[in-house]
Amino acid sequence: MTALLKMEGVGISFGALRAVHDVTFSVEQGELVGLIGPNGAGKSTLYNLMAGALRPDSGRIVFDGRNIAGLKPHHVARIGIARTFQIPKPYRQMSVVENVMLSAMLNERSVSKSRERAAEVLFEVGLESYVDSPVSVLTTGLLKRLEVARALALRPRLVLFDEIMAGLTPSEVKAVTALVASLPGRGITVIWVEHVLYAIMNTARRILVLNRGELIADGPPQQVVRDRNVVSAYLGEEEPADAQG
Amino acid sequence: MDTLAQLVLSGILVGSIYALMSVGLTLIFGVLRIVNFAHGEFLMLGMYGAWAMSRFAGVNPYVGLLLVVPAMFLFGMLVYKLIVTPGLDKPHLVIVFATMGLSIMLQNLALMIMSADLFDVPPMFGGRSLGIGPLYVKTELLIGFCIALGVTFAMRWIVKTTYLGKAIRATVQDREAASLMGIPVHRIFLITFASGSALVGLAACVMLPVFSVFPTVGLNFVLIAFVIVVLGGMGSIEGALLGGICIGVVQSMSSYYFAPAYGQLFFFILFMLVLVFRPAGLMGQKGTANLGMNP
Amino acid sequence: MSTIVKARYSSPGGASLARMPKSGTLSYFEIALLAACVGVLVLGIPESFMDVVLLSFLWGGLALAWNIAGGYAGMISFGHAAFFGVGAYTSTILSVDAGLSPWIGMWLGAILAALVGGVLSLVCARLRGPFFILSTLATAEVIRICALNWASLTGGPEGLAIPPVASLASMVFDSKQTYALLMLGYLVLMYVFTKVLEASRYGFYMFAVRDDEDAAGAAGINALFVRTAAMALSAFLTAIGGSLFAQYFLYLDPTHVFSLELSFQFALLPALGGLGTAIGPVLGAFAITPLSELLRSYLGDSVAGLHLVIYGGVVIVVMLYFPGGMAAALNRLAARKGGKGK
Repeated sequence: MTALLKMEGVGISFGALRAVHDVTFSVEQGELVGLIGPNGAGKSTLYNLMAGALRPDSGRIVFDGRNIAGLKPHHVARIGIARTFQIPKPYRQMSVVENVMLSAMLNERSVSKSRERAAEVLFEVGLESYVDSPVSVLTTGLLKRLEVARALALRPRLVLFDEIMAGLTPSEVKAVTALVASLPGRGITVIWVEHVLYAIMNTARRILVLNRGELIADGPPQQVVRDRNVVSAYLGEEEPADAQG
Repeated sequence: MDTLAQLVLSGILVGSIYALMSVGLTLIFGVLRIVNFAHGEFLMLGMYGAWAMSRFAGVNPYVGLLLVVPAMFLFGMLVYKLIVTPGLDKPHLVIVFATMGLSIMLQNLALMIMSADLFDVPPMFGGRSLGIGPLYVKTELLIGFCIALGVTFAMRWIVKTTYLGKAIRATVQDREAASLMGIPVHRIFLITFASGSALVGLAACVMLPVFSVFPTVGLNFVLIAFVIVVLGGMGSIEGALLGGICIGVVQSMSSYYFAPAYGQLFFFILFMLVLVFRPAGLMGQKGTANLGMNP
Repeated sequence: MSTIVKARYSSPGGASLARMPKSGTLSYFEIALLAACVGVLVLGIPESFMDVVLLSFLWGGLALAWNIAGGYAGMISFGHAAFFGVGAYTSTILSVDAGLSPWIGMWLGAILAALVGGVLSLVCARLRGPFFILSTLATAEVIRICALNWASLTGGPEGLAIPPVASLASMVFDSKQTYALLMLGYLVLMYVFTKVLEASRYGFYMFAVRDDEDAAGAAGINALFVRTAAMALSAFLTAIGGSLFAQYFLYLDPTHVFSLELSFQFALLPALGGLGTAIGPVLGAFAITPLSELLRSYLGDSVAGLHLVIYGGVVIVVMLYFPGGMAAALNRLAARKGGKGK
């Protein structure tokens, strides 16, 4: 089975800092893959490379057989890769449904059809009571759900989630986790960068671990959690004086 | 060859004075990340103030600055409290338009009170120029140059060594972190804005012996100031000096070799080139131009 | 964060005459306003007032044109006088020198202006906020200086005059009423166009790019293209207004036509009336134009500049305390009235 997304030796440096180095992995259609790593591991950078926000210095990013490295973000979105923003970026002068409509418009013919589709997606993510509200009434947790809605409205083949759990209450985490877990069943492949480990470890079948810009583990959660490199990467980052989860 | 040297020299001197008037603008942008579209009118106010001192108190602008500069500092504080503070948490265009409104008000207040006539101060050095080798230098320009240089070094020193300077630098780099560290960010903003205003007042006193004052004099100079600030790099004081000198030289040479009208054209073109190819300016940090107003 | 009122969706309180029109629909308010405009035109009013009326219509259209780039796409420009002037000069030069009817010439001027606007956008694509504003300022200044010095083309500082010989083909009319009709036509077309645009997907794209360019990119929207198109469109429509103005005023000179003051005016009217709405620029134009003309005639002679001092003060107060402009203020009034069960 040809992989949906293939990272081949991808690397990028910012001046002297090698943020991402020689990262290679494949993701098959329908997988739900988690990407974790300690702070500063390069997760965000890798994420931005996949989303087209950054251009790699080396390597190829192959989506559905086509090298997309260096493509502009709007291009990446159009060929079927959706992304969320870690700090939500809603369109603040528009209503909730209008925020989602813009994504829906990629595939819908008319403005009214886009609105219908947007309302559907909002229902899926549990924001149906906010359809015509201004974005300003949404809390952070709800804004993150809006991010998810905007991504789903694109009818993507691959969704990249960027730390969507941060700031959510446990019940919200449960709800969003369920939503994310349902996506592969709908034919949507998921790559999920996350810091809130318990959510991702129980949902993803496969975990990639990044440390200092390099991929140090790739396998099922139970295996990865016991991997010596992973353990030392996490424990090694913590100083006794300011150990913090 | 002498003509060229003369042109370059005058250009450097005038340019340094332009730089002096731009330092305030770049400081305000660097720290507060707002553009004061009434900057030219601040200059106009300072010039009228210096003129009034000369006309009614009989003191020349270099002495008059002792009163004009503090007055402009206070005026800056007033404008900050009334106009900038309410606009800080709003989208940037609010301050843009509000300072534009202020600019219109000040221009027309000046028109109402002072009339549209041009005012000058009587020449202080008998209109003579100093000779430096084979070249001539207007004394007023030379004094202006020295003051500009002095101010630039003084500002550098303040920013690099004093606590205030460090607080300012911290605020520029990350205002949230600075605030968390106990730096009174709003006080820093106030001091910076008022200081920028005071610097414009200083520039006004230096400029009055060279240029006439009239209600819309600000319009001429504000565009020059913007060009210098962008050229030198928003937020960079040394950049403003360098940028000012560049502009002065470009204007002086193009006015002579082409026509006075084209003097302005050339530095606008230079401005566009800088905006397009290196919006961070000569000494600005790369990526500064991507900074919007809202942090 | 942003306190600029979102005027795009319904506020509580049911329908009321004073409620600002929602996008995509036509409200009673708009119909009433249109009727008032036509009424003023048709009724006999003193010649002196006709000037104000006709200028209000023209400025309404120009404010709407600016708003497409500034209010909808978020590209605040203080250089729109460049497009106005290009339109005005092109149709005038073609008419005076080549005998081409302004009815045709104005489209050529508009295309030229659109090119300038498009190129400006592309060249300054990476500039945001104040940097972009400054680039528009610089562009207008460059064009002004060129116009001032290219005397063989533009007549230089002496300007260009259009012979006051009335004829339909040369778009010169005897009666102010006809001019007012022309300007009203411009305003109505601009308004209809704006309403259609803001309800269409292209309008949405512009709002998205304005509100958050990165998010728009992630949604598949090509921000560069949207920006460039918005600016070109705005320039095109502004230039048409410029041509109409030239035909009315019958005299052009670079200092006034490419002036910074004019550029500010294009930006201020929509800002005061309410950016990001269709009715806002119209309200701004209708409120400010008569106000400044009247203030100028009554105060301008006795105390030159007072009217502008007041004007500047109003701008400051409105921008700081009523950032949604008149449209938002009226919206809030209407909501309150509706809530009281009127």
